[in-house]
Amino acid sequence: MNWTSAIRTAIVCLILIVLHYTLRPLLAWRASIDFLLIALVFGAVRMRPAGAAVYGFLLGLATDSLSLGAFGAGALAATIVGFSASWLKAVFFADNLALNAFFLFIGKWVFDLVYVLMERRMHGTEMLMQIIVWSPLAAAVTAVAGVIAITVLRPILEVRTA
Amino acid sequence: MARAARFSGRLDTVVFAGCIVLALAASALPTQMREPVAASLRRSLVAPLVGLQQSAEGWRAAWLESERKTLERDTIALELAQKQSLQLENDRLRKLLGLGSRLAWGFIPAEALHTSGRAEDVITSLTLTAGSKSGVTPYSPVLAPEGIVGLVQTVDPTMSIAILYSHPDFRVSAMSADGKAFGIVYPHLDVRPGRLAERYLLELRNVPYRDTLKAGTAIFSSGLGGTWPRGVLVGTIVDEVKEPESWARTYLLRPAVNPAHVTSVMILTPKRGSQGVGNIWASATQVDAALKSIVTAGDSLGRQAAIAEAAARRAVLDSVRRAGIGDSLRRDSTAFDSLGRPRAGVARPRPRRDTSGRDTSRPDSVRRDTTARRDTLRPGTP
Repeated sequence: MNWTSAIRTAIVCLILIVLHYTLRPLLAWRASIDFLLIALVFGAVRMRPAGAAVYGFLLGLATDSLSLGAFGAGALAATIVGFSASWLKAVFFADNLALNAFFLFIGKWVFDLVYVLMERRMHGTEMLMQIIVWSPLAAAVTAVAGVIAITVLRPILEVRTA
Repeated sequence: MARAARFSGRLDTVVFAGCIVLALAASALPTQMREPVAASLRRSLVAPLVGLQQSAEGWRAAWLESERKTLERDTIALELAQKQSLQLENDRLRKLLGLGSRLAWGFIPAEALHTSGRAEDVITSLTLTAGSKSGVTPYSPVLAPEGIVGLVQTVDPTMSIAILYSHPDFRVSAMSADGKAFGIVYPHLDVRPGRLAERYLLELRNVPYRDTLKAGTAIFSSGLGGTWPRGVLVGTIVDEVKEPESWARTYLLRPAVNPAHVTSVMILTPKRGSQGVGNIWASATQVDAALKSIVTAGDSLGRQAAIAEAAARRAVLDSVRRAGIGDSLRRDSTAFDSLGRPRAGVARPRPRRDTSGRDTSRPDSVRRDTTARRDTLRPGTP
């Protein structure tokens, strides 16, 4: 990844992070869109696995700073998702929307799973409902939103040659 | 090359493992050690994002508040509209109860359902929620507390259809209250386009030339013809219709009942129709007229008392002025004209702190004219 594409990727990730803190509170859905995860997967698939792991760790830690009860849980989940996305992208290289949507869906679900288990706040039926019902719903919504975001932001990422 | 790739893969794994260890360590940190790290992140990297989130939540709160206020406003408007319609309905039902108690027997109460589709259509028929099971028969008179509504045309077991006085087939033999002038009431069909309100007027035809009726004269059913009992209010005279070369007079009538406001009616049974309804509508009209005359008389008495009081006050002032006691009073007298009003160009004297003076100069001692207010409160006003 050269400097130009790195800056473009950074801009797109920044837009997605800003959307996470502006559009998400406005919508306030029960199964909400996780723009941070879209930004994580979007950046991770364009990095080496080590960079993706660090990127995920920092992003997760930043979000954890706002929820003291689960400090470290988001960092762990985001590290796993970032590293896995980058590694899987290297193994199964493809740049189509369906694969991106699949990565987003799985990524969000795994993120929630790790987060819920690490957080240790929910137990029993509540945790089961979160993992089986709400997390897949949020993952599906995130996947759809991610595909739309990638389609809309694709012009920023395309390198024009004269 | 292969060595570099192997090294790179190993580096990735090491960095990943390091991040995992750090994350686990962060989650395992005690609160007093975890808080400084989180606080430094909140104050630096996350602060602008939290600001953005705060703004977004502010917008959402404002939007929800706006929605709530709109909902509240709509609810209040709806409740107000319902209250007005309920008040109207309550008034109508009270009148109907009054009519029921005056009729005492021989009537069937029913709800009137409007079946007209478009707003510009003239209402000529009503569906009534009482049928043959309740004792309704064809050609039974349909009444409202104000007067004639129409006539039952078709009867089913549980419902019936009545034609209104606006229907082209409607006729009723009518007379003036004193029983001197007779005629036949028809619907007023000859209406110019765009003047729908006139379509609900009636015509009193075939009134002999020798009988003239003034505007405002109440017209009642005469009882001739056998369908309508004598004495049901039809309407009041509006004006005479001038027709060249005719042998009888025709008058325009304003009906006592507005079809748009008819929601509950009474259907007279044939037995009651043949025995008559007595003097119910005429007495109600007389009570209205009596109330009106009492109120008017009371007002005129009040006015006369106020005039007399003002005249007495003027007379007292004049007598004091004529006595000419002291310079101050003389100076005062130059400031007023013969009617006790202050003259133009003369400085108005300061009012004295005299209780008798204050009493006589109080403007509210003159009674106000209460005619308009009493009229609006008069019971039985249509």
